[in-house]
Amino acid sequence: MDELIARCRGGDRQAHYQLYKLYSRAMYNVGYRIVNNADEAKDVLQDAFISAFNNLQSYRGDSSFGGWLKRIVVNKAINLVRRRRFERLPENENFDVKEEEVVDEFEGYPFEVEKVRRAIEQLPDGYRVVLSLYLLEGYDHGEIGEILGITESTSKSQFNRSKKKLKEILEGGNL
Amino acid sequence: MKNDSLKEFISKNREGFDAQTPPENLWQKIESALPKFPKQVFWNSVSFWRAAAIVLLGLSSYLFYVKNNTKVEKQDVAAMQGFSDLENYYSSQITEKMDLVSRYQSQTGLTEDEVTQNLKKLEAMYLVLKDQLKKRPTQDVRDALVLNLLVRIDLINQQLNKLDRPEKGEQKSI
Repeated sequence: MDELIARCRGGDRQAHYQLYKLYSRAMYNVGYRIVNNADEAKDVLQDAFISAFNNLQSYRGDSSFGGWLKRIVVNKAINLVRRRRFERLPENENFDVKEEEVVDEFEGYPFEVEKVRRAIEQLPDGYRVVLSLYLLEGYDHGEIGEILGITESTSKSQFNRSKKKLKEILEGGNL
Repeated sequence: MKNDSLKEFISKNREGFDAQTPPENLWQKIESALPKFPKQVFWNSVSFWRAAAIVLLGLSSYLFYVKNNTKVEKQDVAAMQGFSDLENYYSSQITEKMDLVSRYQSQTGLTEDEVTQNLKKLEAMYLVLKDQLKKRPTQDVRDALVLNLLVRIDLINQQLNKLDRPEKGEQKSI
């Protein structure tokens, strides 16, 4: 991987293509889960790769390359969602919320991958972004707080609400 | 924290959630947006460093040449001045003494002897050295020239003494 990145830094177009092949599918899905449509997901992926290739010198290798690239994709996608007027990403609550009792509302639930995936797509932006970042992209609530500019506890409560909403969608049967 | 069944299910089936496929022609768009000749290629290329090495070598040689030549000139201005003073003095001595020798020789009717021939050889060597001084103005050549002049003066003095002695001897004998 280090060699591939070094070749990219040297302007090797073949190496750029190899990195694209390795990461494009995963990164497209990361972007898609946030923006929730193919057109914008394509723009996000394109912008993210161009930006990553042009700024490879700022990748210092202290995290994995995939992690570094994923953060670029996530930031680009969130910026796109923020520009939408009609839906909003979660904001900090103005007062301290008592930590909600966490219940496993899905205990014994007969999950199906396709149904869960489509149910996530039907979540409103604010819920979907937090749920995806936590469950699929592997960020913890502290990191999500940092990415979205909210507190860790806001991220946690938003995640719990998004799970409840997801269950409603799954049980609504319109999938 | 209690178990999270949704989290467990998703992490077990993580790959199934990457169901979307990026459009086929996206790479072409990305590629066309990348710089044709990235700056880094130029700085990292062997050609660049080769060119830089040649320029550096050329510049060093030039500076070395200029520096050394200026030094030689500065040193030589003083040395040459000293040398030409010496040369003028010794040459005039030689000319004067050689005149005396020729005069003695014509008065006494003596032909050129070995010493006179040696003096002529030394003069010829002197001219060769002078020529070399023009091409290579070093201290060694200047020293050789001065030595040549001194040896010639010494020889002429000996010759003069030799020519003088029989005269005196004749006077004495008279």
